[in-house]
Amino acid sequence: MTRERARIERLLWRAGFGPRPGDVDRLAARGLEKAVDELLDPSGPQLSGSPPRIDGKPLDPRNVWADDILWWLDRTVRTRQPLAERMTLSWHDHFAVSNASVGDVRLMLRYYASLRRGSLGRFRDLARAMTLDGAMQVFLDLANSSDESPNENYARELLELFTLGVNNGYDERDVREAARALTGFTFDYDTKRFAYDRKRHDGGLKSVLGKRGRFEPLDIVDLAIARPEHARYLCQKLWGYLSPRTCPPRLLDRMVRAYRDSGTDVRPPLRLALTHPALYADLDEPHQVKPPVVYVAGMLRATGRGVERQEWRWVMGGMGQEPFYPPNVSGWEGDEAWLTTGTVRGRYVAAQVALGDEIREGSIAQTQTPAQALRSALEATGHPWCSPRTMSVLRGYARRSVAGRDEGWQVKHYWPERQRVLRHLLLAGPDAQVC
Amino acid sequence: MRAGIPIDAHGACDDWRLAHAAPARALSRRSLLLGGTGLVVGALGLPGVSPQRILEAARADAAARPDGRILVSLYLDGGNDGLNTLVPLTDGRYRELRPRLAVRPQDTLPLHDTREFGWHPALAGLRELYDAGQVAVLPSVDYADPDLSHFNSAAFWRTGIAGPTLDRSGWLGRTLDAVGSMDNPLQGISATWGLDPVLISRRAPVATVIDPSDFGFWIPGVWDDDTPLRPIREIAAKRARHPALQAAREAYAGAVEVKGRLAPLAKEKEPAKPPRAYPDTHLGKSMRSLARMLGAGFGTRIAAVTSGGGFDTHENQLTDHPKLLRDVGDSLAAWQADLVARGLAGRVITLVWSEFGRRPQDNDSNGTDHGAGGLVLVVGERAQGGIQSEFPGLARLDPFDNLRVTTEFRTVYASLLESWLGVEAERVLGRVRGARLALVRP
Repeated sequence: MTRERARIERLLWRAGFGPRPGDVDRLAARGLEKAVDELLDPSGPQLSGSPPRIDGKPLDPRNVWADDILWWLDRTVRTRQPLAERMTLSWHDHFAVSNASVGDVRLMLRYYASLRRGSLGRFRDLARAMTLDGAMQVFLDLANSSDESPNENYARELLELFTLGVNNGYDERDVREAARALTGFTFDYDTKRFAYDRKRHDGGLKSVLGKRGRFEPLDIVDLAIARPEHARYLCQKLWGYLSPRTCPPRLLDRMVRAYRDSGTDVRPPLRLALTHPALYADLDEPHQVKPPVVYVAGMLRATGRGVERQEWRWVMGGMGQEPFYPPNVSGWEGDEAWLTTGTVRGRYVAAQVALGDEIREGSIAQTQTPAQALRSALEATGHPWCSPRTMSVLRGYARRSVAGRDEGWQVKHYWPERQRVLRHLLLAGPDAQVC
Repeated sequence: MRAGIPIDAHGACDDWRLAHAAPARALSRRSLLLGGTGLVVGALGLPGVSPQRILEAARADAAARPDGRILVSLYLDGGNDGLNTLVPLTDGRYRELRPRLAVRPQDTLPLHDTREFGWHPALAGLRELYDAGQVAVLPSVDYADPDLSHFNSAAFWRTGIAGPTLDRSGWLGRTLDAVGSMDNPLQGISATWGLDPVLISRRAPVATVIDPSDFGFWIPGVWDDDTPLRPIREIAAKRARHPALQAAREAYAGAVEVKGRLAPLAKEKEPAKPPRAYPDTHLGKSMRSLARMLGAGFGTRIAAVTSGGGFDTHENQLTDHPKLLRDVGDSLAAWQADLVARGLAGRVITLVWSEFGRRPQDNDSNGTDHGAGGLVLVVGERAQGGIQSEFPGLARLDPFDNLRVTTEFRTVYASLLESWLGVEAERVLGRVRGARLALVRP
């Protein structure tokens, strides 16, 4: 593989959900810079193909258990705008809201739409949209927080997780004062109406982050974003989604400047990161753990499949990531924490769901050589990365698994079995977990 | 699990720290520990071998014995409201601060040995255990200058380090580093989907298993589950250059190992019915699974379970909190009965904790905001029943109107490590000042 193809493949995993057949060749011909431009400025339809059906029925996220999870997963599989979709998932981790506590899929779908709309725009717009978002207001108790007794939950996370980083430029008094400014939102659980009630807003003077004024809710977002600590915190977070490595200091400085100069537009810093050599380090041994959604979407994209089996409803939980259900307000832990004895088993099972039972007994001739078997498996799984040493283990297996099995019934079973195992190992083995 | 520090270097580092930190005291405590693990060490004078090495080997051996002691962490996710769990009946300010949420005294469940407190009415299961002398209660545990962020506070409790650190390992994972084996992942079981962060170790293998009956590696059309596992084992044995791939390979190696060891349990068609029903909740199910695994004798020393979440009761606490408490109390009661039936009750102690308590003053959304001073319970047949540390009272609060902290969480950890697991606390937690608490009956 040429170096450019390897870089494009890396880009498609980190800034999307892995390549579909043909993607790497098409983009390699245009070059990395152009590929990044295309990702940052998507146009045309958001999704390709037709919506999946499970047992003949379309997904019904509002009424069928776990179909909300599959609905999100489907968007990642069919996306034609991988970076926008990937950033939506990252923002879901950043502005984490869980339906486990909101308990209203309608609100969660609206929350998704806000994230998606703001995925590649100005952070300020997104943070304001999140402050006004119904699911968020319910999740972090901003709704019905009133002047009499302000609820600090949203104020705290806005500073700690969304804009500044823990204890990074604010203190306990800022949280309490910000909470006062954020009062006045209401939610009627019976009519499901959100509103802003000026009478329940604390109109008094507050001092927040070194400023004094009669601040209103959205002022707090602006005050936080105006802090010098914010840009660096956010750019570091952006880099963290793209790479597990420490961001090179000079790159981070440039990202911070680009982010500030553009008035919190995330595209300029993303462009710098996605075209920087640090992102393309270690092409011979990929060093980021695929998040489960990326792993599964990547598997389905590489093999040209969709979210068409009901098993996906429970498989995602076994890997530790269900969209719409992050474990808590700080999102998913990520990186190596994704991989435990339990979750790798979940990942193994996921490949079983993706591959299904597609190779019939007796469908492979005894004349197939081990090398042909491996080639056929690589072809069927989109040529996933694996180390030279792993490749040699697979070659050994391809030889041993059928050696001496010459009887008719053995050929009928073990030749297809070899193909099933090879595809499974390529798609789900240890090496398939990194990108 | 995630490696990085070579074994020898780390051991040497421990040796250095021990040698430089009050050796006399450390030694005397160590002999006491050995008594605790039931070991007789007669080889202290072997030439050429440091006493430290012999003690280490002996402890590792004891740890591998299937009748060793077990410590279980039960985390109440989100910050449990201690004041409405164990209600301070004689504190006049309680009702003033909780106009919306105060539990009425006549509704609480009395304690057999004091009138100062009452249990929340949903805690009938826990109260039985308390009255049987099996619950040590610490009403206000935290650390100095409590941090009210879930993220920070939970990280401090999990790592056992009260302050910012780059160390991701959990205090119970490090306990296994100190006394565990290098080849038995089931010595530390996280009965959760992801690995419980308290169990993250630097080098000792640990396992994440939520249901031992469901740990197969089936592929449609592949006759023997082990066929694909053989090449996986080969692939996983090769050391990777970067932590990501290394983590994938280690996790696979661990999973294959765990699958082999769980095989006897996986074969049980219908697990035996527990003597007392567990609640049909996330917590109830994971504790039931865990009891089965402990019963199978895998040499487990540490385990971790987590509540289903939701203790972050910023609003609607009157509806939500009772359900959460009932789940915890009933799960613990079923768990203890199960342990008795399995002959394990004398070997297991469960530490119930949360990242912080909640603000004494309730809020306008019928909830409570983040506070300090959380309630800790130590549950088990060998627990020292009763209220074991001071309740600070509500008359005087801390500068942020939170409960004052009377007990540092690290002294709770140190006490359990030393009196229950027989591990020198300093090896896991660094220096822990402060008198140890009597949490375990001698």
